[in-house]
Amino acid sequence: MAVSRAAQGLRAWLLQRFTAVYLAIYLLAMTASLLIRGVADYSAWRDHFGEPLTGVLTAMFAMAVLLHVWVGMRDVLIDYIHAVWLRLSLLAVFGLVLFGSLLWVLRALALAALPGVN
Amino acid sequence: MDKHKPAPKFLNLLQIELPPGGIASIAHRVSGVLMFLSIPLVAWLFGLSLQDEQGYRAALDYLQCLPLRLLSLLLVWSLAHHLLAGLRHLFLDLEIGISRTRARTSAWVVNLGALALTVVYLGIWL
Repeated sequence: MAVSRAAQGLRAWLLQRFTAVYLAIYLLAMTASLLIRGVADYSAWRDHFGEPLTGVLTAMFAMAVLLHVWVGMRDVLIDYIHAVWLRLSLLAVFGLVLFGSLLWVLRALALAALPGVN
Repeated sequence: MDKHKPAPKFLNLLQIELPPGGIASIAHRVSGVLMFLSIPLVAWLFGLSLQDEQGYRAALDYLQCLPLRLLSLLLVWSLAHHLLAGLRHLFLDLEIGISRTRARTSAWVVNLGALALTVVYLGIWL
């Protein structure tokens, strides 16, 4: 898995583009939303991400980032790292870092959504 | 454009004249890697900012320090360039703007647009 481009090229190519479209829309909408609201303090910031819709859209954003970055970094590794053992090791490390970061963001969103946890 | 220039035998980065599309392409890659490398830090800061009042203040304080200011500048450029270059890529995939002149123009728009957005950010934030 994930060693050659040919093995899962089209799927990765499509995934890269689908996630790209979502990431672009989310970023533009979220930037606009934050600018219009003018988040001034902690409670406004927490309320914003504690909203169910914002929370779910942001969780989807974090997952889309993970998939997008996974494909992108895989392409970079395939281009520059030719020793397969090193390429796979780096890919594994990247995967762990990305998955850990995703869980961290999801945890933060869940805590923001639950009133009175903190 | 000398037609008789010999093919380069090695990659001399100072002698390669990359066309605007080439600059947009390599910068797309560099910006993507930069953003990837900063993901753990950004995720941690995001979690900290949502944790509680103290965490929110701490996160804002961290963002005020010089290294993170510089990093945020780099990341704003990265995001702007990656987004613009990515949109250009999607249009090219749909065979929109693939003529040489239009592709060159859009590459310039991407390269300079990202820098312009970074300057706007610089004006607001720093």
